[in-house]
Amino acid sequence: MPDCALANLLKPLEAMIIHPSLRQLGYMLSLTLVVGLVGCGKKDSDEEDDSGGKSDAAATVATVDMTNGATIVGTVKLDGAAPVAKVINMGGDAYCGAAHKTSPVSDDHWVNNGGALVNAFVYVKDGLGGKTYAAPATAITLAQKGCTYEPHVFGIMVGQTMKVENDDQTLHNVHSVSAANESFNEGQPPGTPAKEHKMTKQEVMIPIKCDVHGWMNSYAGVLPHPFFAVTGADGKYEIKGVPAGDYTIECWHESTKSDAAGVTQDQKVTVAAKDSKTVDFTLKAQ
Amino acid sequence: MATLVAPAIVRKKPTKPGAHDAHGHHELSFVQKYIFSQDHKRIGIQFMFSSLFFLLVGGGLAMIVRLELGWPGHAFKFLSFLPSTMVAGGVILPEFYNSAFTMHATFMIFFAVMPFLMGTFANFLIPLHIGAPDMAFPKINMLSFWFALVAGIIMFSSFFVKGGAAGGGWTNYPPLSDLSELSGVNVGQNLWIISLLISGVASLMGAVNYITTVVNMRCPGMSFFRMPLAIWAIFVTAILLLLAIPVLTSALVLLLFDRTVHTSFFIPSTILVAGQPLVGRSGGGQVLLWQHLFWFFGHPEVYIMILPAMGIASDILATFARKPIFGYKAMVFSICGIAVLGFFVWGHHMFQSGMNPLLGTTFMISTMLIAVPSAIKTFNWLGTLYGGNFKFTTAFLFAVGFVAMFVIGGLSGIFMASTPVDIFIHDTYFIVGHIHYVLFGGSIFAIFAGVYYWFPKMFGRMLNETLGKIHFWLVFLTFNGVFFPMHILGIGGMMRRIYDYTQYPHLSHFQGLNAFMSVCAFILGASTLLFLFNLFWSMFKGKPSGMNPWHANTLEWTLPSPPVHGNFSETPHVFRGPYEYSVPGHTEDYWPQNEPPEGWLERAQQMKATATHG
Repeated sequence: MPDCALANLLKPLEAMIIHPSLRQLGYMLSLTLVVGLVGCGKKDSDEEDDSGGKSDAAATVATVDMTNGATIVGTVKLDGAAPVAKVINMGGDAYCGAAHKTSPVSDDHWVNNGGALVNAFVYVKDGLGGKTYAAPATAITLAQKGCTYEPHVFGIMVGQTMKVENDDQTLHNVHSVSAANESFNEGQPPGTPAKEHKMTKQEVMIPIKCDVHGWMNSYAGVLPHPFFAVTGADGKYEIKGVPAGDYTIECWHESTKSDAAGVTQDQKVTVAAKDSKTVDFTLKAQ
Repeated sequence: MATLVAPAIVRKKPTKPGAHDAHGHHELSFVQKYIFSQDHKRIGIQFMFSSLFFLLVGGGLAMIVRLELGWPGHAFKFLSFLPSTMVAGGVILPEFYNSAFTMHATFMIFFAVMPFLMGTFANFLIPLHIGAPDMAFPKINMLSFWFALVAGIIMFSSFFVKGGAAGGGWTNYPPLSDLSELSGVNVGQNLWIISLLISGVASLMGAVNYITTVVNMRCPGMSFFRMPLAIWAIFVTAILLLLAIPVLTSALVLLLFDRTVHTSFFIPSTILVAGQPLVGRSGGGQVLLWQHLFWFFGHPEVYIMILPAMGIASDILATFARKPIFGYKAMVFSICGIAVLGFFVWGHHMFQSGMNPLLGTTFMISTMLIAVPSAIKTFNWLGTLYGGNFKFTTAFLFAVGFVAMFVIGGLSGIFMASTPVDIFIHDTYFIVGHIHYVLFGGSIFAIFAGVYYWFPKMFGRMLNETLGKIHFWLVFLTFNGVFFPMHILGIGGMMRRIYDYTQYPHLSHFQGLNAFMSVCAFILGASTLLFLFNLFWSMFKGKPSGMNPWHANTLEWTLPSPPVHGNFSETPHVFRGPYEYSVPGHTEDYWPQNEPPEGWLERAQQMKATATHG
């Protein structure tokens, strides 16, 4: 049943119409009710199955075995010339401008020496057989500091709490544009408590932007399992506790077009219990 | 020799008090009398109470807006009782601020000012002023009120649904109003649309009723040019409603389709949401289509809200200046002129939409033309006042205040109408100041004037004049304290609808002025509570008013206060216009419209006797 306040609202009003001469009004209100139901629009995401868009409804809840699980490590590199880092002009907001001693540079295409690609999201795309994992009780924090998002790219489990904090003394507007989950778009003035959100479906990736400061963007990868990682400054990643099996590992990195589709590369890997496998990725510069 | 005009409507005298021939064959139950009433006066009073409720809701939202603008981002601990989706840590959240100004305007325009003028006064006054027993369609009249009330309740309920109430401004331009991804509001926006659709049906039912009643049910002698200007204004406004509301309705239906079945009437193919391409829509629509449709309704809507106010003010000014209206026919033609021209000016709201400059110039000229009938009315009000023997009642003070404030609102409108100037002040606080001078200084001042003037006829008791005058001066001073500085803010570049202007260095110095305006707004809001106290106290404890406390000419003042169901025991006969005050040679300084001229009764009886005997 859609979450429709109008339907509930009009029921008692219809019941009130008992006078025979008002039957016509009753019919008209009924018509309104129908229109209202149509107008209630799409079903709210949080009422839907939260087991993940691609997962089986009858999926079992598994636990991560850190002792016997395999470890997948690797490095993500950029093949080709690194894009020139963009210098961000934050002068439009006096607070943001004063928050940085040196000119801030965009996190979009951060490539270190040797072509190590920072902020690539690597995760088990396929092979878990529909297993889902309980979301951890700890929240993932997305901070707004110095008018940038920290972290720039992160993974979060389905049902895990995401806390969005504003540490700045200026207004931010957190705007997620999600295809599978419910998008959120809300302002966060300084001094207000953190906002909490939960994603209900698997989605790689959800772009998050600040509508006040156009340079602020972040990406969240939402998965029903904990087997994901984000490359660090050395371009390396590590995924622990992976059950034995055959997997497709995907590496995602935002493209220069800054869209959610990004640039991806898949690789197959087979791991046994307590294995340690290396899966490196090389993404082509666009 | 005088000739008798045959009565247009022949009715029997009611057989018992409180009953009339149309629907008075039995005693009315409580429900029929007070809830689902078909009596135009009762429906008018129902509209008054619902409008007052929504006036308070709209006013409360204005206080929220002024709190934020006076002290942006400040933590107001006393607001902590509000849900965390509206206020967090005492800080008014931007989404709630957006909803507050959107719903402030929505409630004020569609559920307070419009129904007050075209629900309360139109209902209460039309049959009484034209000498009719009731409206032409009493049941439709009743339905009109209940549709309006249901619409208001639906609109109010939108605050309590997930995502909150609509926040795209009262104009609700797509794509903001079209895509929940942009506004963050889903169900609330749908409820906004549905509510206005229902409200539109209510307006149309009212308009059809008013037009039919005025055209068909005027009593003998009540020619069109003997109608009070309030009725002329309401009549013309009803025609405006009939022509303008369907355009809004069609726009709303298209928007509802866009939102619910994902059509793309207002969504272009190239749209990006937070930098991402929009999926699930075909695109190919035009955001400007909404603007054209909305403003084709929206500008006549401004006149829908000001023309009845002009009519009410005209009646009150003449009564308390004890003078005939200066240039009655010119006033009538001006009302008609404003109404006609009002349909050719909608483009002046869209000068910044990228329209062809030649088209912009056309709209600029047509807009400037409206200044002509408006100026005729203003000069005629001044002509009416000139040399008058003023009775400084509260109603008169508000009517004079209306003229003064309307002049300021009208003049600031000329700035907006001029394309080169509009480029500079478009979507700034200048327009907010302008529209409030027209709709508050104009419409609401006239509404207050009308309530003070007709309250005795509605309830049979006088409003307290001392409280009324305190109310007037508080409103007059603080209204100007709130809204005049808005012109300065607008010229200074302060954007309308902005949540925190102090983020911009060139606007941060306006904080002090904004704080002053907010303090004025709070006093203005409190003064409304004084008015409401006066209203409810006087309803039960006020001095009995008698039949004609103002010594006015129009037909309602020849009836008991309040008039009985069915109004007139006999069909009245009108002999003159409504503004025959201080007529030389007449003993009184007023001359009721239905008071026969000297010797008329004798001649009538003689003619009757002749007809009977031969």
